Amino acid sequence: MKIVKRVGTYGLSLVMAIHAAGLAYAGPLEDLIAGAKKEGAIEFYGPSTLGPEGAKALNDAFNKKYGLNIKLQYSPSGNMTRDTGKLVGLAASGQPPEWDIMVVTDAHHGSLWLRKLHDPFDYVALGVAKERIEYDRGTVSVANQFALPTYNKKLLPAKDVPKKWEDLLDPKWKGKLGVINSTHHWARLAAGAWGEEKTTDFVKKLSDQKPILSRAGEMAQRLILGEVLISATLQDSQLHEAAESGAPLAFAEDIQPVISPEYHVGVLKGAPHPNVGHLFVAFMGSPEVQPIWKKHTGHSSAYVPGTDAYKFAQGKQVVYMKQSQAKLVDKLARQYGKILGFNR
Amino acid sequence: MELEARRSVPVAAWEGLNRLRQGGTGLFAAGLTGFLLLLIGVPVGMVVVMSLRTGFPGEDVPLTLENFVEVYLDPGTYEILLNTLFFAVASVTVTLLFAVPIVWILMRTDIPLKKTIYVLLTIGILIPVFLRTIAWILLLSPRIGLLNQWLQQLFSLSSPPFNLYSLTGMAFIQGISFVPGAFFMLAAAYRSMDPSLEEAAYTSGVSKLRTFLKINIPITLPAIAAVMVYLFMTAIAVFEVPAIIGMPSRILVLSSLIYSATTPATGLPNYGIAGAYGAIMLALGLTLAFLYVRLVKQGKKYTVITGRGYRPREIALGRWKWAALAFVFFYLAIEVFIPFLVLLWASVLPYLQLPSAAALSSMTLQHYKEIPLHVGALPFINTLILMFTVPTLTMVLSVLVSWVVIRTQVSFRGTLDTLAFLPHAVPGILMAVGLAYLGLAYRSVFPLYGTVFIIVLAHTINWIAYGTRTTNSVMIQVHRELEEAGRVSGASAPRVLGRIVLPLIAAGVLNSWIWIGMLSYREVTMALTLYTRHNVVISTVVWQFWGSGWVPQVSALGVILILFATLVVGGVRLALARVGEIGSAS
Repeated sequence: MKIVKRVGTYGLSLVMAIHAAGLAYAGPLEDLIAGAKKEGAIEFYGPSTLGPEGAKALNDAFNKKYGLNIKLQYSPSGNMTRDTGKLVGLAASGQPPEWDIMVVTDAHHGSLWLRKLHDPFDYVALGVAKERIEYDRGTVSVANQFALPTYNKKLLPAKDVPKKWEDLLDPKWKGKLGVINSTHHWARLAAGAWGEEKTTDFVKKLSDQKPILSRAGEMAQRLILGEVLISATLQDSQLHEAAESGAPLAFAEDIQPVISPEYHVGVLKGAPHPNVGHLFVAFMGSPEVQPIWKKHTGHSSAYVPGTDAYKFAQGKQVVYMKQSQAKLVDKLARQYGKILGFNR
Repeated sequence: MELEARRSVPVAAWEGLNRLRQGGTGLFAAGLTGFLLLLIGVPVGMVVVMSLRTGFPGEDVPLTLENFVEVYLDPGTYEILLNTLFFAVASVTVTLLFAVPIVWILMRTDIPLKKTIYVLLTIGILIPVFLRTIAWILLLSPRIGLLNQWLQQLFSLSSPPFNLYSLTGMAFIQGISFVPGAFFMLAAAYRSMDPSLEEAAYTSGVSKLRTFLKINIPITLPAIAAVMVYLFMTAIAVFEVPAIIGMPSRILVLSSLIYSATTPATGLPNYGIAGAYGAIMLALGLTLAFLYVRLVKQGKKYTVITGRGYRPREIALGRWKWAALAFVFFYLAIEVFIPFLVLLWASVLPYLQLPSAAALSSMTLQHYKEIPLHVGALPFINTLILMFTVPTLTMVLSVLVSWVVIRTQVSFRGTLDTLAFLPHAVPGILMAVGLAYLGLAYRSVFPLYGTVFIIVLAHTINWIAYGTRTTNSVMIQVHRELEEAGRVSGASAPRVLGRIVLPLIAAGVLNSWIWIGMLSYREVTMALTLYTRHNVVISTVVWQFWGSGWVPQVSALGVILILFATLVVGGVRLALARVGEIGSAS
């Protein structure tokens, strides 16, 4: 229901925004473009699944749209949690951020928002649908990921594919499971569909299964090789990459609720190129970015009818994160990290 | 003419001039000691400061013992300390099991292909450890390891015989990666060993194996003990194997704990806790450094190099020649060939898979073609900066330190020598964390954070110990009389150093310069700890690729790195063939 409402208002806002962008809000846009021309560059942090080709495609489309010649420097994420933490550390010690804008999940942006590390902007004035703006005007939603237990189709017989989350706790998987460091996946379940008590109990039992711990990209490789039979969660971005190379990874699609981390983009406080940054964020919220993002990362927005993400979410119980859950998710992600053994 | 003029100077004036020179030397030595103290002491001091603070670097917080309380009241800390000690002991054991026989075979016997083996051992050092570790996962993982699978099939075993994800597995991989380093450290002792006892044993009809066990090993025991302590110190500090093998299985050692405290998988960095763990490492390192210095001094009592002017005779192995060669090549296979082949295999596949007909049919060079697109120019530029500036700074400092230590009578020259060795007692990761903290908390006085020069600094400090050991041994070999002649002719100390000493030690210095450049090229732990968007180097790119799951791309880059290292080492060996092998001076 929530998503239907969001889609409806998104469409309406989009029409209004497109109209508005051409009339009343030409001022701020022109100011930003003029500022961007002077700055000439942008430091862009984004998922590694985007790749240099995807970053270049975004850069080209952005320059074309605004008649600019901005040089985009792409920093692929090796570990969003680590880099978010690093950014918080830099800010605390008074250092400027390394990037102008970051495309990370809503949970990571939540951690930044809690520490007031965004540079908010009136993106509605630049034509972005109000419903896609989060964290007190600090970020814009770009696309939805989906996270589910993932397995290697060639190695795991269909009868063994888990049908529900609790199947992962079956003793037969002991030592054969993997868990990635995106512990915010579990924190989202705790803040939403499952509640804290049930989720914490589940995470403890999952830890008792002695899973292999690693980052998402590394886990995909371990799954492909057969070193891990099931990863308790993995994002569809890894599945997209695997599919491109022909590797046989698949979601255990019967399992619900489906966790949906959202990629958000926001300008960082103290960013060296704020004008290009804000302009780029607005651009990322525009419809023309969807096919580029989809092509290179495999993701699209669940709020845009007709996209793969929209279709995938239909009829499923999907867990989305809200700004009001940021504090709890931030706390529980760390707590679950300790339970699972990522941190001490 | 000048000398005659000097003779005419009154004796008192001449003595006065001498005193002035000695005073100048003392002043220079004091300045150098102060500079080193600052260079090494400040990052170490930062570790102490951060262990006494909570919060982020630069935050205004009072000093506290909170971190120590948290770390030292946690029983898990002691478990990790035990893990670390076991890992270090086991790694060194594995190293010596391979290194000592290989040294003996290469230094004292007539085994063929010596030059080729030297080059391969050198390449062994230059293959980044984490690339080899990835290859070993493909061989010894309990689930997918090819070797495990073959052995299970061959002997109908119910479970895989090897489990890489254990402290023993970690120690095995780390241990074999130490062998080339240990080889070059032990080579000098074996090469110059007085062969009289050995020859007496052979004359008495004692077998070669028994002679090796009863004569060669005991006689070189001080050297072996020193190498053991040196490697033990290194094993406590290493990070790559504990990160790739240990952390996924929750097997933690001190270095992985410090890394995960500063770059956590979840949550925010905790520098204070890293500092408190670092204190244990520091205490261990300093104790071992003390032990090492003692052992080296003790070793001099058991000197096996006499002034009798002999050249140790090579032992004819006869039919055992091929067995010895097989042993050496078995080691080279597991250290160099197999990891390289695994990387080569992975680099030409669309995704990582075990050998099969389907895999063979999907081979592609795409990942090699995409390297420029994925990597860009910056990591190459930064790596080149490292490869030139780190060895230059290290060797300049090392030559100056060695000159004071070996060539002057300054009373505190022993202290300076110990000070120059101290960086080896401070694990690289700790040095890097200290520098990162310094850069973050005191950026107005130390504005290097985020630049490649902070990595240059970390590497330079880290390799001063190695540099000075090398320049010490090279300088000892140059007889004093040449310098004395220069001094008597009235040349100043800097002029003697520049015009007489430096040309004489140039070959050794150049050898070490290249060697340190290559070590800097492959180093990842410090570069990763200090990594930002602007100071990315090739080794951190490889690490990032691995984290992103881009294994074929990592492998392609790894193959190129190894080929580059091979070309450099091969070229250097050819160019310096007449001035001794690389690393021999260590």
